[in-house]
Amino acid sequence: MKSGNNNNEQLEHLLETHKGILFKVARAYCAREEDRQDLIQEMMIQVWHALPRYDVQYKMSTWLYRIALNVAISYYRKQSRKTIHIPLDDQAEQVTDYESGSREQQLRLLEQFIAELNELDKALILLYLEDKSHAEIGDIMGLSISNVGTRVGRIKDRLKKRFSQKNNDL
Amino acid sequence: MNEEEIKLLWKNTNKQLEESLQLQQQKAQDIAQIKAGNLLASMRPAKQFAVIAGLLWVVAGAILLTPIYLYGFATANKYFLFSASLQVLLTAIALVLYLYQLSAISHIDWGTPVLQTQRRLIRIRSASLWIARMLCLQLPLWTTFYWNREMLTNGSYGLWALQAFVTMGCTVLALWLFTHIRYKNRHQKWFRLLFSGKEWTPLMRAMGLLEQIQQYQETEE
Repeated sequence: MKSGNNNNEQLEHLLETHKGILFKVARAYCAREEDRQDLIQEMMIQVWHALPRYDVQYKMSTWLYRIALNVAISYYRKQSRKTIHIPLDDQAEQVTDYESGSREQQLRLLEQFIAELNELDKALILLYLEDKSHAEIGDIMGLSISNVGTRVGRIKDRLKKRFSQKNNDL
Repeated sequence: MNEEEIKLLWKNTNKQLEESLQLQQQKAQDIAQIKAGNLLASMRPAKQFAVIAGLLWVVAGAILLTPIYLYGFATANKYFLFSASLQVLLTAIALVLYLYQLSAISHIDWGTPVLQTQRRLIRIRSASLWIARMLCLQLPLWTTFYWNREMLTNGSYGLWALQAFVTMGCTVLALWLFTHIRYKNRHQKWFRLLFSGKEWTPLMRAMGLLEQIQQYQETEE
């Protein structure tokens, strides 16, 4: 890829088209809005930096997920763990009509679950929720398809248990 | 909730949030400008101070010691000369390692697969342990630079005993730290105490991540 203005135009187009990827990854790794904005900015900087090294054999979204996840995992290390934890708010805990479907509460439960995962499992569940194939997850993470299947399966089991446990509690 | 419902929940929420996303639409040129900042400017003030202080120390040491080696070696106090030289040399090595580490991190390709990139990052960050080990080796030198012939020939037994105790103690401690500041000891209480500061937190977490990577690799095998 050429440098200079061409790079800048490509970057603008890229970010406009795929900003959702950066946002979703930031959302999974940062609970606080200001941290998310910082993280997204850092991701954009690294995308700009890595653009000349983009390998066309990979899908653009695969490459962007790699950058976003790599930056998020490194950024996560620098943050206080206190900012990562997303507590279920008291009101949500007291809601008794779970089955009738407080979507907000279900979402909080999902976010809570994601927040408690370690850095790599967090990346896997995020890609799984985004409906990525095992092959693509493998490309992004640097894992074999069978390993992705095993790992995602384990996380899914835990997720199901969490939701059914919450159902039983209510 | 089944799998599809969970995925739908995630996607719908993301869609809503994306639509209302107030992403600061920075122009690519702004980003380019941020990135154009040099290595030193991108560091935290405490680290900038440490690097500048380290550089000044090494330069001052070189300026002070070089003429002694060139013109006054025969008459110089060898205890001071060798202690100070080793101290400056160890500081210089630690500084070079640190700058190399910063440079390597800034040149990392973030577009490679996650596990590969993270492993590389952790390996580079682990150089911090080498820096700490090098700096620990300086410890006994602070107990020898003030020795002189007068002190050794005319000193009392009490003074010798005290000096020997201090120097031996520092040497043993320095060698022990040099050989024990290793990744495998990261769970030891003394290790966690020694590397408990804010500056060390990313390294300690990087080590935790390495354990996760190793677990992933075990599944791979």
